[in-house]
Amino acid sequence: MERPAAGASYQRFPRVRIRELRDEYAKFELRDTDASMANALRRVMIAEVPTVAIDLVEIESNSSVLTDEFIAHRLGLIPLTSSAAMSAMRFSRDCDACDGDGSCEYCSIEFHLAARATDSGQTLEVTAMDLRSTDPKVCPVDQADAAGDSRGILIVKLRCGQELRLRAIARKGIGKDHAKWSPAATVTFMYEPDICINEELMETLTLEEKQSWVESSPTKVFDIDPVTQQVTVVDPEAYTYDDEVIKKAEAMGKPGLVEINAKEDSFVFTVETTGAITAYELIMNAITVLRQKLDAIRLQDDDGDLGELDAHLVGG
Amino acid sequence: MNAPDRYERFVVPEGTKKVSFEKDTKIMNAASFTIEREDHTIGNILRMQLHRDPNVLFAGYKLPHPLQYKIIVRIHTASQSSPTQAYTQAINDLDKELENLKQAFEDEKTRFERMKQGY
Ligand SMILES: [Zn+2]
Repeated sequence: MERPAAGASYQRFPRVRIRELRDEYAKFELRDTDASMANALRRVMIAEVPTVAIDLVEIESNSSVLTDEFIAHRLGLIPLTSSAAMSAMRFSRDCDACDGDGSCEYCSIEFHLAARATDSGQTLEVTAMDLRSTDPKVCPVDQADAAGDSRGILIVKLRCGQELRLRAIARKGIGKDHAKWSPAATVTFMYEPDICINEELMETLTLEEKQSWVESSPTKVFDIDPVTQQVTVVDPEAYTYDDEVIKKAEAMGKPGLVEINAKEDSFVFTVETTGAITAYELIMNAITVLRQKLDAIRLQDDDGDLGELDAHLVGG
Repeated sequence: MNAPDRYERFVVPEGTKKVSFEKDTKIMNAASFTIEREDHTIGNILRMQLHRDPNVLFAGYKLPHPLQYKIIVRIHTASQSSPTQAYTQAINDLDKELENLKQAFEDEKTRFERMKQGY
């Protein structure tokens, strides 16, 4: 067999089309690449893009009904604005400005919380908005709704006379370490379906048969044109690869009525973030992180007998 | 008390090499690469990229055990190439693909925002 000389490139040139892009949500098409790349991006977005989260809590006073560790855990899960995490911040474990004890500006941000319920009439809700950050860039994500009503994430409720005072240290981390550092709420991708109706066979169906076939799909993928009475594909992506329409066609004695294949090089991504970083930042950071990972696994020149190995192997 | 640190899953311990390889003793142009602290994310893209190289006769990876934080990539090439050459080429191609993807995303964002503003 004729083989090309070594050193040729087999690079791909993926294409992207954004369908929707909001601060915390993105939907886009990725084409001309394969599932391994789509999946690597998904995995990196979920587990390896860094954010900042509370990691160390010193409770000064806690007379609430929740235990200290329960509150510490809840604090850890609060999303903090993390645009600085990707490049400006250091991981505590490789920060040489401190011993990783959380006392340095390069790798940690301090928070304070002090709340005491004094109104005997009602309980006091302590929320993420009561956390006082020492760095304006890193603070709890604003959870304001469409009406602009911002109440923050509930941490604990205090009854009259109860108190909570604490100091917390937030650090940079990744979802692989603990899920609280994951910037992703959901990251999914699906294969784009290629739906092909056999028009000739379809025309042998009566309108009632077409109707019942269209309705056999659990999601609204097909519809009937009210004028021409032809079956049309209205939303290919609504198809969940459930095979129901194929089974239905077979049951009607019309196998091959429709052919549905997953395009192996086209994906539709949905990305939702916790608000720690924007969806666009998440995608871009994931690409950067994946490139850093690839760079880290390159063979080093000082890998001893590399040349010798090559000489030995190529000889055959 | 004696639980290992969580970061042991993804931080290469001091004195350990990130990548090491061992050539096959019986087959020419075959070698196994052990990559420390990596998983399916790297293993699968590397394998699929190696499959695109016609000089690669075999490429596969395994994660030997979920508590051993390493993968093993095995490559067998034709005589025109070598496992290390194919390995390096695959990484270069993936890196360039991602560089390209990053640019594509930036361009697409600009186009998308213009379109939304109605230019
Ligand atoms: Zn530090």
